[in-house]
Amino acid sequence: MRTSFVKPRLSVVLLALALAACGSSDPETPGPQPDAGTSVPDAGTGDAGVPDSGVPDAGTVDAGGPDSGTPDAGAVDAGPEDAGPALTIPTSLSGFGLFTGSPAAGGLVPVEGNVPYTLSTALFSDYSVKSRTLYIPAGKVAHYQPKDALDLPVGTLITKTFAFPADLRQPDKDVRYIETRVLVRQPSGWEAWPYVWNADQTEADLATGSRSRDVTFIDLQGNTQAFKYSVPSKNQCQQCHHLQDETGEQVMHPIGVKARYLHHTNTYGGVERDQLEYLASLGKLDGLPAAAELPKAPDAFDPSAADLSTRARTYLDINCAHCHNPKGTAGITSQLFLNIDNTNLFTLGECKRPGSAGSGVGGEFDIVPGNHAESILWFRLNTEQSGKMMPQIGRVVHHAEGSQLVADWIDSLPPKSCK
Amino acid sequence: MPRLQWTRASSAALLALVGALSLTACSDDEETPTPRPDAGAQVDAGTDAGTETDAGPTVDTGIAWDGGAAGDFSCEGKTQATLTFAPGQEEALQDQVNTLAECTTIQLAAGTFTFDNAITIRQNGITIAGAGKGVKGEGTGTATSTVLVFTGAAPNSNGLDVVGKRFEVRDVAVWNAKKDAVRIESSTDVIMRRVRTEWAKVNDENNGKYGLYPVKSKYVVIEDCEAYNAADAGIYVGQTEYAVVRNNIAKQNVAGIEIENTKYAYVTGNLAEDNTTGLVVFDLPGNPIKGTDIRVLDNTIINNNRNNFASVAASSSTVSQVPAGTGTFILASRRVELTGNTWENNNSLDVAVLSGLSIEPDPTLWAAGGFNFASADINIHGNTFKGGSGDQVDNGSLSQTRRPLGALVAALYAYGETQGELQVPHLMWDGVDPAGHPRTQVNPIHICFKDNTLPAGTRNAIVDLDLAGAGEAATGGDLIGAWGKTRHYAATGTAFDCAGFSPALTIGDFIK
Repeated sequence: MRTSFVKPRLSVVLLALALAACGSSDPETPGPQPDAGTSVPDAGTGDAGVPDSGVPDAGTVDAGGPDSGTPDAGAVDAGPEDAGPALTIPTSLSGFGLFTGSPAAGGLVPVEGNVPYTLSTALFSDYSVKSRTLYIPAGKVAHYQPKDALDLPVGTLITKTFAFPADLRQPDKDVRYIETRVLVRQPSGWEAWPYVWNADQTEADLATGSRSRDVTFIDLQGNTQAFKYSVPSKNQCQQCHHLQDETGEQVMHPIGVKARYLHHTNTYGGVERDQLEYLASLGKLDGLPAAAELPKAPDAFDPSAADLSTRARTYLDINCAHCHNPKGTAGITSQLFLNIDNTNLFTLGECKRPGSAGSGVGGEFDIVPGNHAESILWFRLNTEQSGKMMPQIGRVVHHAEGSQLVADWIDSLPPKSCK
Repeated sequence: MPRLQWTRASSAALLALVGALSLTACSDDEETPTPRPDAGAQVDAGTDAGTETDAGPTVDTGIAWDGGAAGDFSCEGKTQATLTFAPGQEEALQDQVNTLAECTTIQLAAGTFTFDNAITIRQNGITIAGAGKGVKGEGTGTATSTVLVFTGAAPNSNGLDVVGKRFEVRDVAVWNAKKDAVRIESSTDVIMRRVRTEWAKVNDENNGKYGLYPVKSKYVVIEDCEAYNAADAGIYVGQTEYAVVRNNIAKQNVAGIEIENTKYAYVTGNLAEDNTTGLVVFDLPGNPIKGTDIRVLDNTIINNNRNNFASVAASSSTVSQVPAGTGTFILASRRVELTGNTWENNNSLDVAVLSGLSIEPDPTLWAAGGFNFASADINIHGNTFKGGSGDQVDNGSLSQTRRPLGALVAALYAYGETQGELQVPHLMWDGVDPAGHPRTQVNPIHICFKDNTLPAGTRNAIVDLDLAGAGEAATGGDLIGAWGKTRHYAATGTAFDCAGFSPALTIGDFIK
């Protein structure tokens, strides 16, 4: 008989047969709000836009004669509708022809048509500096979606490059590139392919089976952080990049390319442009509504951009909701839904007992309003303990600023004991 | 086992103990009287027919499967390649694993493979075969064993992480996985055969949670495997339909073998020894799958007295609240048959039948599974209870905050001993379901206890704890009154002396 009897429950069991579900508190108003201004290292200059370091040109590069003879980024162009041949996946990043140059030669420069973009709030990945590009083949166009990721055509290539500056306080200096992940929209659906940069920083080679790299940097507080950075395997990409279809099959999807995270300015050709409008002006995005109707996720770390609740919910949305949503496998299992449009306080975690969070996870409930220290949600995103930390993959060190944001938000909720 | 130690405790100490229990009972919050779990939600309990009134017929459909291709995917007639790897080729192995063609066999040579990340498989028809699972305690491979070592792997990574139809793993050991040793999710036709999952440290809450862990899957066979030192369950079958768990060994885990939110499980020939709790069957709240039809046959569930090393502060897991010495518990479950099993020397008790409300009293939180908190139709017959159980609840090391029910039971039987009840009976029912039933109903959820072999001199074999009534009295400081609420029954000649439910289980009948 011993089981879980949660403390108090014994006598209460039949008496009142339930302590009502913890009352309730004010509803959330998720949803996009004001603005912020970009905080993410922005994407460069010139039409091509240099992600975060380096100057264009240089185009040297050695391995396999990448830059010239571009195996054409347009390999998949043509082809109307979602048909056409599958793109042959190159063994090196240069094989896509998406960039010229290299980190060793002054910088990795997106070619024309490979559009750099930033997200207003990004997934935390061990403080790596990330740069992103979106390539939509000639003759193809993406369709606007108000909530989900943009509907991107076959042949689309999305890249995300992970790099660590020696000192986060000088993010453009002594940058070491670790990996570039490429999402490929094949006729059969999305595929994810990880490329790992070599020690010389001249080429990134396909590494489907995961790699680990020792990383050291000086953080924003001036402290040295050293850890083993894990490049996910190809199959692990699906752990985050999926939604379940009606039959329960996991279908791969991009995560960040959502209107609310894209609707802010970036610099293209020396001119400040709204990223969505810029894509539309290139003929790469249709269905774009008037600016006033565009959703906008704030920079979660800009207090002037939105209220605390919206910023915290935005952080949870981009960091957690790719799994913790009603179509994510982990969301379905846990019934914890952290997507920005979830208005149900229980499935958001308030006074919710997790299905299987395990032992020593800070408390009994996902969120104890008013008390972050006893909230499992906060504990798991704050801890660095293996087996207890969240997200499941992609993080080794803890995100001090993100933890603080979520702590502040939980503490701002009207207190409840949940018991 | 030594007699109750707390007989020496003063009654004042006992009252302090139960008083502490009451203090923790919903102190600050005002209680909002909640509607009792409505009738609709609990009707299924206790019908003789053993049926679920709300879910239609829930009987095994008689699929004669035993690890074959019962699902919709088969490798027959397809190209079946074999890739062979030796120790030292881990990186190549990982690269290939991520681009596998369907129906590939990965053949691993004998020896030690060391990984820095999970082996993640997302393909159908994959087999991983080693040279042997080795023996308990071996963290390196030998000439006849293949050990996959994850000691230095990325945080949070599993050992094998699989989603795919028709998956098989055999003859390997998975050592020191960061999370689950073998996690298989949303898969069909899964076979784990001669696999050992183990963590080097004993009693470490930071060990991985699960050894062999199929979840949300269908047609699963776990056979001739061994699971040691998991911080939750050694062998866990969750949210699965059709599972065979046969001839395995689970030791030194918090829970040896767990069958959770699962339909149609055949659990036979296993040894669950030296865990905190041996072999358990339960549904958890908030889960959409309502477990049913579990046959537990010919297992040995003994000496499960390991102190609960997952029972640390701020824990939310079910097993973290289990008192040491719990042989078996059945919670929020229905249509469960226990037969041919042996229980012995489980310090808290051999078998408990519990309501889900005992772990989560808010019935609304059981909505996802159709309000599946009630247990019903439990048939315990033809087993052997060898004794030595129930005489030292939670090893005498009680915690009213972390393992409160154990503390309550310990307190009750400390008094009970003065009344001639020298141990917790072999079958303990919490007396909760159907919630609020009149006490004139002796066996409303149809628990049958029949034809079991009991130790010589057994006085009472069964107790109805009346957890609500006894708990209330105890929290009020009235231990004698609490004891008075409990009811003890002999093994025969009572309302529990019944012939089981119908239709009887068929799970296992079609398996040969």
